Amino acid sequence: MISLLLILISSLFFVGIIVKTKAKIAARKMPSVLQPVYDVVRLFKKGAVYSQTTSAIFKMAPLVYFASVFLAVLFIPIGSQKALLSFDGDFVFFAYLLGIGKFMMIIAAMDTGSGFEGMGANREALYSMLVEPAFFILVGSVALFTNNVSFQDLFLHLKLDTNLYYIIGIASIYVFVYIAMVENSRMPVDDPKTHLELTMVHEVMILDNSGFDLALIHIVTWLKFSIYGALISNFIISNSWAIYWQIAAFFGIQLAFSLTVGILEAFKARNKMEKNPQWIIMLSAISIVVFLTVLIITEKIILN
Amino acid sequence: MTYLFIILYAITLIYFALSERVKKFVWLLCMQGFMLFGIVFFSLHKIEIFDFIFILTETILVKSLIVPWFLNKVRKHNQLKRIQETSVPVFFSIIVVVLSLIFSFFLSNFLNSNQIHTKYFTVAFASIIFGIYFIIIHKNIFSHVVGYLIIENGTFLLSLAVGSVMPMMVNLAILLDVLMGVLVLGVFINRIGDAFESTKIDQLSSLKD
Amino acid sequence: MLSKAPKLTNYLVLKINMMIFIFIIFALFLSISIFISRNKLVNYFSVSLFSIALFALTIYSYIHINQFDSIYYKFDALGVLLTAVLSLLSLFSFYHSYLYLKRKSNNLKQKAQYYSTLILFITAMISAYFAENLALLWVCIEATSLFVSILIFHSRTKDALEATWKYLFISSVGLAIAFIGILFLSIVASQNGVNNLNFTNLIQAAQNMDILWVKIAFVLILTGLSVKISIFPLYAVAIDAKTIAATPVNALMSTALVNVGFVGIYRMYLIVAQTTTLIWAQHVLMLVGVLSILIATIQLTRVRRFKRLLAFSSMEHMGIVTIGLAIGGVGVYAAILHLIFHSFVKAGMFFQLGAIRNHFKSIWIKDTGNYFKINPLGAIALLLGVISILAIPPSGLFVSELLVFKALFFKNYLIAILVLILLSIIIYIIIKRFAHLLYADVADDLLNKEAQINPYENISQFILFGLVIYLGVNPPLFFTDLIHAAIAILN
Repeated sequence: MISLLLILISSLFFVGIIVKTKAKIAARKMPSVLQPVYDVVRLFKKGAVYSQTTSAIFKMAPLVYFASVFLAVLFIPIGSQKALLSFDGDFVFFAYLLGIGKFMMIIAAMDTGSGFEGMGANREALYSMLVEPAFFILVGSVALFTNNVSFQDLFLHLKLDTNLYYIIGIASIYVFVYIAMVENSRMPVDDPKTHLELTMVHEVMILDNSGFDLALIHIVTWLKFSIYGALISNFIISNSWAIYWQIAAFFGIQLAFSLTVGILEAFKARNKMEKNPQWIIMLSAISIVVFLTVLIITEKIILN
Repeated sequence: MTYLFIILYAITLIYFALSERVKKFVWLLCMQGFMLFGIVFFSLHKIEIFDFIFILTETILVKSLIVPWFLNKVRKHNQLKRIQETSVPVFFSIIVVVLSLIFSFFLSNFLNSNQIHTKYFTVAFASIIFGIYFIIIHKNIFSHVVGYLIIENGTFLLSLAVGSVMPMMVNLAILLDVLMGVLVLGVFINRIGDAFESTKIDQLSSLKD
Repeated sequence: MLSKAPKLTNYLVLKINMMIFIFIIFALFLSISIFISRNKLVNYFSVSLFSIALFALTIYSYIHINQFDSIYYKFDALGVLLTAVLSLLSLFSFYHSYLYLKRKSNNLKQKAQYYSTLILFITAMISAYFAENLALLWVCIEATSLFVSILIFHSRTKDALEATWKYLFISSVGLAIAFIGILFLSIVASQNGVNNLNFTNLIQAAQNMDILWVKIAFVLILTGLSVKISIFPLYAVAIDAKTIAATPVNALMSTALVNVGFVGIYRMYLIVAQTTTLIWAQHVLMLVGVLSILIATIQLTRVRRFKRLLAFSSMEHMGIVTIGLAIGGVGVYAAILHLIFHSFVKAGMFFQLGAIRNHFKSIWIKDTGNYFKINPLGAIALLLGVISILAIPPSGLFVSELLVFKALFFKNYLIAILVLILLSIIIYIIIKRFAHLLYADVADDLLNKEAQINPYENISQFILFGLVIYLGVNPPLFFTDLIHAAIAILN
């Protein structure tokens, strides 16, 4: 329960901190950290406008999207705080929960019949497909490392005692940061601030959504960031720490993560569209190196 | 600790496949030199002190400082900024490097002989395969030298894997040879860059009948 | 006094026991003095001093045959033979270099560079012939490729740049591959308690070696050294280099340098011969040899330059040498014989080509002709050379090829017939091309009118071709004894 609350609280501030960091670096006047929340509240007050060409799928999609991601949050533990739901192999379920939401958004975008949205959906689908192996290989190798197959047990048994753990930890954090960026369509893959439909990925998909639907989609973005932040924090937080230390560390890591995203977005240029696939496949390559490292540690590969 | 540097070395190979800028190649070669230094520093305690110091200086001075510095000079001389002339998309290169890594890790598991230190063999073999691949896919002579140096780093690791069989004098001579080779190759890149006004391999094809 | 005496003798023994080191230092000294002084007199004096030292070393090594020279070198029979060949060839090469440079330019700096590099090149080859340690052999071979690339680049044209780059780069990569082979061999060596890579120890320990590693090492070393010996697979760069290099350098590159590659492969062959995998290695060598001859034949149908023609002819002969090794037994004897005869003939051909170059503005086959009228004596030398290179009796190459084919017919007559067909095509092509040079009409504007006929230029060729005939028809006892000593370990 605590983990769910922590993730929800941190998600409220996440995007605000990113925006604030970017504004600070660009020497602009900063909006309040809670500005995204105010925006969403305002959107909730509005009614939605639907195109005449759309069907029920389009109206359903944001709800399914939100529901699936919210369900995914329930599987995330933090430190020694248990997740609400947990069973063996739940990380596969977790990945496909995110997948269902994304799938709904993609077909909703196709449903509008707009060429631009179809293009955006196409790209989004490609990038999610490419990033999937990275996620599975990484979580799979951590599962092999700890000999557990649910998120909760897996992170509970993650021990910090070998030298090689640091490689796994650092590489996993690195890969998770960038998976989060790809999943949320942020900087190296997609620029959320761009105003040219030709170069958009995620933003162009939700061009037709408005009011209540748009608010849900924004909330999902916060949640996703927060989920990945929580996953990253699990690599660092040891469950032997006292509970208040764990909570403090969790917020510290979420803050650091959002600052990192803000700094990355401020300084990095967006990749060329054709470079994106190779850049995403690189994440899988690094996860494979992590996998090989785990094989060495667990002595599946015996070296001398 | 040795494993840390071995894994980092493997990651540099992936970045070699990913990057397309010449500057990055030189930087990565420098990094590889440091990785080799780390590997040697944490694994070769048992050998004689003179040999130990010699190998350390070799890796830190030659492999991570002198050679990259020299290559950087050559790069600036020829105004090489970016190389797009790979004949294979980077996407496939990454897959190739990953496959070669997996293959060589499992191969060294299969070898498991007490005469070879298979932990060095893993990246050594991958490095050699990837170096040859790197030479094949690039169409610029500067990148060819970079590929040659990747192979050389692989052979260095392989010689660690085999153990110190060779006498130090011969080792020294081999090192000097490689160094001389790189210097001479670099000088010739400069000459080719001056004479042909570019370092692309396509121009070097007039010797045919 | 008494206590000092043994020390002194020890010191003397040690000193004499390092003859090759002394030779290398001496050569380095000569080379540097040529390079620094840039003086004609110093040039000629140092070069003649070097030639004398080379002959002295040959005789010294013949006297001290089968003795170690420090732990790194050994005066073995094959080394003595090839050193004798090299010392003769380098003497002629110096003379032709003198002619070549005189005709080409008067730049003292370039001349000094040329001579000093040539001396270093020859020294590196000598060091490779006698190297007893596999790693040292590798180092020497790498050194030869560095020096020879400087020589290839001598003319400083764009084509020379291209050829030099390709040669240097591919031979560096090839040698890196060979080095991997050496490392693999050292794995099995250390498994059998051999902690240095001395050939004597390796051959002794070879019986117990793990066959898989030996196979890998053999293939890798063969691949790497194929740059030097110019056989399949990495033959192309050596051909390009020979297209560009000056003829006196070519004469050494196609002979002595090829022999360096042969030494490496032969030493490896001796190690493999002690194991049960010899049959497999012979199959590999057979494949490589036949493929080399096949590729040489295909390429020869398209060549348009004499230097390339001779370079591919070298490749064909090396294919025959490789087949000789593949047959084993008498084939190995024939291979070494063939190697030595080929060295003499090919060097003579390149020297003659240098003389021909003088009379024409271009050395492309289509731009030449009527050489018999222009320079009858040179044409006779050339004709003799063509007969020798095609292994037509009385050439010594006929004897060695006969031995190879006799053995090959017993071993596998289908391959023998295939190779003979290919050789007939090669004979046809070479005769056709050289007949064009000798008899075809040539336009006046293609001739170099100022060229003067220098009859002394042909002496070295007559000596070399004569030597081949003499050694083929009536080989002196010490010569056959040396070859038998070189292959003694196989029996």
